[in-house]
Amino acid sequence: MQSRMHPKYYLSQEIFDREQIKIFRKVWLFAGLTSLVAENNAFITRKIAGIPVVIQNFKGEIKAFENICLHRSAPLQQGFCGRRALVCPYHAWSYDATGAVKNIPDCEAIYRFSADEKQSLKLREFALKQVGSMLFINLSTEPMAFEEQFKPEFVALMESAAQSFDTEVMVTTWHGKFNWKLVYENLRDFNHVKFLHAKSLAAIADFPFEAPIQADLALTPLEDISIPGLRKAMRPFSYGGPEGKIDAVRPVPWLNMVERWGTEDAYFNWLAYPNLHIACGNGGYSFTIEHHIPIAPGQTDIEIYFITAKKKQPYAASYQVLLSNMHYSKTILTEDIDMLEQVQSALHIDAPIPTQGAYESTNRQIERWYTELMETEHEI
Amino acid sequence: MKSRWVVGTGDYLDLAYHAWTQASATEDVQKITVPQGADYEFDLSIFDTLHPELGDVFIAVDDRFGNFKRMELFRVALERGFTLSSFVSANADVASEAKIGKNVFIGPQAIIGHHCKIEYNSVVHAGAQIGANSHLRASVWIEPGVQIGSRVEIGTHAIIRTGAIVRSGIKVGKGAELGWPQLYSADIADKTVYDTRYDEPILVYGS
Repeated sequence: MQSRMHPKYYLSQEIFDREQIKIFRKVWLFAGLTSLVAENNAFITRKIAGIPVVIQNFKGEIKAFENICLHRSAPLQQGFCGRRALVCPYHAWSYDATGAVKNIPDCEAIYRFSADEKQSLKLREFALKQVGSMLFINLSTEPMAFEEQFKPEFVALMESAAQSFDTEVMVTTWHGKFNWKLVYENLRDFNHVKFLHAKSLAAIADFPFEAPIQADLALTPLEDISIPGLRKAMRPFSYGGPEGKIDAVRPVPWLNMVERWGTEDAYFNWLAYPNLHIACGNGGYSFTIEHHIPIAPGQTDIEIYFITAKKKQPYAASYQVLLSNMHYSKTILTEDIDMLEQVQSALHIDAPIPTQGAYESTNRQIERWYTELMETEHEI
Repeated sequence: MKSRWVVGTGDYLDLAYHAWTQASATEDVQKITVPQGADYEFDLSIFDTLHPELGDVFIAVDDRFGNFKRMELFRVALERGFTLSSFVSANADVASEAKIGKNVFIGPQAIIGHHCKIEYNSVVHAGAQIGANSHLRASVWIEPGVQIGSRVEIGTHAIIRTGAIVRSGIKVGKGAELGWPQLYSADIADKTVYDTRYDEPILVYGS
């Protein structure tokens, strides 16, 4: 059957801008790890759906604000992460935990703001949600409940795993030349594993999948296109669990250095729509967080976090364990990235519409929902 | 004749063995490969056949696992009472007052400036240049041709790959890997990895 995904959805700047406003500024998105903002004044900065954001620890309270000073629009914090009070480096305006201006040097002498004007100065704040040691952000002025976007059993299992994350984190970013949607479509298609990853992932794990019956194929239009209806329709796009079968985990010394999460020898995957993938290929010893950040229609940053389960005690070579695993994950992910870049490079506005089979039902449901959002004025 | 057991694995073992063979006419130089199992652990039984009174050991394991595998064998040899002399190529230009630690390898055409300190178990390959007053801490790996300015501090277990140039006065954090062929002109945080396969540096936060 024919897909609903016209090539324009992967190529058009106008569509990309609409996605940013109608999806990325409405839904809960991965924003970082609490271990990076564990101490007072620790911060991380991000650009999410085009908005610069600072997530900062104020004496134990973690808050998210727009990272733009209200005076001359300078970024308040700079760099991926750090530890510094929320003070603009340009003219030293400082801000408190509510986002209100705390101090403006020489305010009365040179700015002459009225009391009302000064009181109205407040940074735009965004909703944050902590799931284990992961942080999610919502840029909407009226954010939907976290539970509206994700099923409770999905959140519970992800939270359980994320509570076991160690505080030593390895991070890097790859710049992919493809549209962000190609990644989530690829991740919801286990059929590619045995072909694209024949010598890598398929050699160590087996991902069984089914081709569901006609009723699941999203052949008819969405019935409920109200805001709650469209939010509800989105919930099944995120799921996770022990999806892959693996052989017994090969005993290497570092496994004994960490408190394993769970006991099941399986390849765990969590897919949080729209742009988060967590993989645990060794039954709870380590985790890869892949965060796919749309940059432009043909450009996606893949931010990778690598973490083990909590260490029993610190040891000198732990970062080398992270690095070895990072290199291993890269060999598999490079196979995906290379293919997705090939797909993107072949796309043009008159390219053939993809033909899907029954096993691609999840992607079909996502695209029915996605095209409804893109082609109509309906909102989530 | 005393023995010189060059102990380790891989290409660097071969390189160190040949360097010692050419340099020591008065020693019986032997190459001893230590096998690594599927779990990457060394089979240390070979050490049971070696005795400190009959010879000395040089540990030659490359930069694998951030130089920790070389450190592991170095410690085993030290615990068993070996002296672990360093190797300085006769063709290297090493300032006379430079301090060179145990089990250090300095290859041919390497230049070590005055008042440098090269701590134990570090490797400075052929043609690398280390500027005056620089300090390489333990278990560092410097590849052929690397250029390091003066007053540079290089943290333990760091790796500097061919093509890297480190500007004078820079501090390279422990465990850092400078693998992009470029000039490094700012301090490098601990455990930061510049690997040519990656688009951005790999960073480590927390502990």
